[in-house]
Order: sequence, then structure tokens, then C-alpha cells
Amino acid sequence: MKATPLTPVLRLSEIEKVYQTRDIETVALNRVNLTIYKGEFVSIMGPSGCGKSTLLSLMGLLDEPTSGTIEVNSRPVESYSDKELAGLRNLKIGFVFQSYHLINDLTVLDNVELPLLYRPGIGGKERRQRALEALDKVGLSARTGHFPSQLSGGQRQRVAIARALIGRPEIILADEPTGNLDSVMGEEIMALLLGLNQQEGTTIVMVTHDEQQARQTERLIRLFDGSQVG
Amino acid sequence: MIRHLFTLIWNRRRANFLLVTEIFLAFVVLFVVGSLLVYNQQNYQNPLGFEYEQVWRVGLDPGTQPKAERLSTLRQIIQRLRGLSGVQALGLTYSNTPFTDNHNTGDVNAVKGGHKVEVNSYWMEDDIRDVLSLRVLAGRWFDKRDDASNVPPVILTQDAQEQLFPQQSALGRIVYKGKKEFRVVGVVENFRGDGDLSSPKPAILRRLTAQDTSYVGFFTLLVRVRPGTGAELERQMTIESLAIGKGWSVGITPLPEQRAAQLKRVLTPIVAMVLSCVFLVVNVALGLFGVLWQTINQRRSEIGLRRAMGASAGAISGQVVGEILVVTTFGLMLGLGVAAQFPLLGVLGVSVGVYLTAMVLATGLIYALTAICALYPSRLAAGIHPAVALREE
Repeated sequence: MKATPLTPVLRLSEIEKVYQTRDIETVALNRVNLTIYKGEFVSIMGPSGCGKSTLLSLMGLLDEPTSGTIEVNSRPVESYSDKELAGLRNLKIGFVFQSYHLINDLTVLDNVELPLLYRPGIGGKERRQRALEALDKVGLSARTGHFPSQLSGGQRQRVAIARALIGRPEIILADEPTGNLDSVMGEEIMALLLGLNQQEGTTIVMVTHDEQQARQTERLIRLFDGSQVG
Repeated sequence: MIRHLFTLIWNRRRANFLLVTEIFLAFVVLFVVGSLLVYNQQNYQNPLGFEYEQVWRVGLDPGTQPKAERLSTLRQIIQRLRGLSGVQALGLTYSNTPFTDNHNTGDVNAVKGGHKVEVNSYWMEDDIRDVLSLRVLAGRWFDKRDDASNVPPVILTQDAQEQLFPQQSALGRIVYKGKKEFRVVGVVENFRGDGDLSSPKPAILRRLTAQDTSYVGFFTLLVRVRPGTGAELERQMTIESLAIGKGWSVGITPLPEQRAAQLKRVLTPIVAMVLSCVFLVVNVALGLFGVLWQTINQRRSEIGLRRAMGASAGAISGQVVGEILVVTTFGLMLGLGVAAQFPLLGVLGVSVGVYLTAMVLATGLIYALTAICALYPSRLAAGIHPAVALREE
């Protein structure tokens, strides 16, 4: 089922990101060039503060580069309005975060439905149906009515993955998805992501500190002091 | 999205309890004050049923003059005053003239021992119709024909006719006030002598003549003066009256002045109540504003997450306003439940229409207030940078 990695999903050209405060200028990313192809599983590694999360934010259209171009499906995104960018994020990108970012006052099912709330034309019944399907994929069908506080860390991350999947995005961006989990749970989540990539052809970009996990992915990008070193 | 907002607010009901309570209390206060304001405003818009411009009230105090001589002196004074060029019309009445807060109420019924109707009673000499420009709707005003009448005549206001003789003409009918019988000779437009903010109340007008010996204490005249007359006529009327009534005292007050004084008297507590209400509403608004501001700061990562999931800045802004409107709806549902008891129990003694209008006004005001309070925090929320907010947790 794996797609041939030829179609570019996301292309970053000469990306620079500089954080400017009154006194200090910090270069977070320096001339990064990167293309993510459909069906790839790419990992990004590097020491803390090297710009991994910044890169992921830019890929997720949550931030704008200081210079350079980001293209989604061969179209540059800098000309998009805030509303259009929000629509792109909703349609094409799924996010998984290290600290899960679940809304504690919503049930598992409501948390998973969240991305579809911002997609016009999808009714409540379809949302529910798709949330149940996504939860089934991550093995949490029995926990739909639970609240995040009633789940283990691994289960919470599965919910977050189900939430990333529900919108059927072209790419999932995972920022240290196993960072808060013990090794067993971490392996479970890694297996889940690998399964999604290999069996369903989901494109995944994952930031990780874990060399072993990175080796399981098809391509490894290394960053050091904001520059791509491998 | 609406269902999502309701779910979110319901699941956060403990955190929102105080806000809901605050909105509920603010609504109840606004509803009560609103009911009173609507009631007074509706009364103010009703016609008074008489004209008061160019009308003066003349109070005549006979002092120590023997009672037997008073009526004769009074008749002379009336005759003299009628002869003054500035006087258009003049009539004797009792002390409950318009805008004095002086009431004379009692029960009348159409059938002896039957259903009683509480009415205001006014005593009026024949010329009072011209003084106050009262409009006769049916029958006639008092005149010489009533001198020979065995049964004293009365005139009913429209409301009094409708309550005493529903869907019937009262003309020629007998009404009972205690043991006394009166024959209805006419019906006039509703007459609200208690002033602009008084509710329409049924009234009966009884005939008074300067020959009536039943009351010889303090006499009251109402005088319609020609436009443009003022202090000179007032001085002349005083001099002429005192020249006839030795030892009498005279007090002249234009009805517009009495009306202004009465309005001031009645409006003062209302204004104080409205100011207290405004103070409360401002406090509620500031409280809401503060709570929302704090909530936005506490929910930065959730806002960042929603942005990542595809919410635009406008959608975030809309959600903040939407959430407070849902909280408001919960508070209003409680408030409307309490407000609905008011007409059922007749708490304020006003009509159902007044309560309904006040409910609509208070509901609209609370929604507008909470939406306005949410606007700035919602803009703050919309401005939260998603990448930064997601990294903060």
C-alpha cells in the first residue's frame, strides 16, 4: 500500500528563521532546504535548541520564515491569508505533540472530533463516525467517553494521533511524540506511527531525540545550530 | 460548533458557576428595574386626559372665619375672580387636584353588594370641564339639569365604565358608593390626576357646587388663565380674594409647576435605583472582563492547539465570544425562570406585557454587555501566536 515517494507534499527552500529581541538576534534556522515526499517517514534529530521545533512549526504553517519559501503541493504559502492558512492546516496537516495537547474538559471522542469542527460541510453525525473510526485505528474504541485525565500517557498520545488522523491529512507532523512516555509506551506509539506510514501510506515527519526510533524511519535529517547537517 | 461550545461550557460548569451566578443576579436586578422603568415609561406615554398648561390651582384658607359665613364669602370670591380679564374659566373642586399626590379612593359597584371596583373620586364644579379641557365621550357634562335631580349625578371615566358595565353603556345607570346612589350622566376620557407616571385608574367625577355645605374647610379652585398672563394676574387674584375674604389666606400654584415638582419627587428614587443598577452592571462588566482576560491567559495552549487544528484568528475570536454567550445563556435561563414567577405571583403589580418587555430588554442588555466584555479578550485570544502558545506548556 506504500506510495512511491515521488510527489512532493511540502517543500522548504532557503528557509531562515531569526528571532529578534531588543538586544539579541537569534538565528533559529539557517538556509534550510528540505522536501518531504508523499508517503515518506522522515525524522529530524539534533540537540536541544538546534531549531527542530521551529522547523516543524514552519512546516505546520504555524509560523512564518524570516526568509525563504514554503510550498505545499507546489504552491507557495506566503501569499495566503490567515484564514486560508488555517484552512490549509486543517485539510493537509495533522499534528502530534510531545505533551499531547488534549483539552482536559472534553471527552476522548470530543477531542478527536476537534479538527473537523473547523472544516465546513461536515455534520455532527459524520464527525462522530470518523472520530470512532480514528479511535478504532489507534485501539481506543473502548475509551470514547473518558476524559484525558483518566488515561495513561500512552493512551493520551494515541488519542492525539487519532485526532491527527481524523482529518485525513496529507502529512502528520509529530513533535517528539514519545518524549513524555516510558520506553514501552514509546515503542507502542512508534509502532503505531510506523503502521500508519507503511500500511496506509501516511506521510510523517517526526522530531525525535531517540536515535533508535530515528533509524526506523526512511530518512533522517540532522540539524545543528539551525543548519541542516545531514 | 454551537453543540461543541455547550459541551465545553457544561463540562466546565464548576469553573463557570460564579460567572453564571453573576449573570443570573445581574439579570434579575435588570429585570426588576427594567419592569419599573417600562411601567413608568408606558404610563408616561398615556394621555393624561386633561390639559394642565395655563391652569392654576388656587387654595383658599378661610382661617378663623365662622363656618356659616364661609360659603357666602367663597361665592363672592369666585364671582370676582371670574370677572378678571385674565381668567378664562374657573371652577371649584376638592384638594385632590392634579399632580398633588392627594388621593381620594373608594369602592363603587354597579349592583348593590356586587363586584366592587376601586376608583379615584374627584369633585368638580360645572366649569371644571372647560378649565381642564375634559373630553366627554358619551352623555353629557354636569349642568343645571342636575340641580333638580333626585339622584346625584356622576360622570365615569372610560375605564370605570368598562369595569363597572363591561361592554355596556353606563349612561342612565345607577352606581353605588357605600349606601349612596348616583346616576351616570356621562363618560369622559380616562383621567389621570395622579400625574404622568401614575397608572390609569378608573375614576368617577362627582358634581360640586358652591352651594354644597358638606365641606367648608379649605377650598380649592382651578383656574384657566389666558396665555401670556403671569405674575400680574396672580397678584391681582390674591388682592381681590383677600379684599373679600378678610382673614383668609390665598396660595396660587400653576399646575405645570406642580407637575414638575411631582415628577422630581417621583423620579428621584427611580433615578437613584437606575444609578445603583448602572453601578452594578458596570461592576459585573468589569468582573466579566477580568475573568475573561484571565481565562484567555490560562488557555493559551488550548488556543494554540485550536489554531494548529485549523481555527483561524476569527474563529478563535468567535469562540471566545460564543463561549461567554453560552455562559450567559445558562445564567439567563435561570434568570428567566425567576422572572417568569413575577407575573404569576403578581409581585410588582404591573401588567404581563410590562414583565415581558422587561424580560426582552434585560435579556438583550445582558447579551450585549457580555458580548462587549468579551470583544477585547477575544481579540487578545485571536492574536496569540500558535507556535509560541504550543511551546509554552
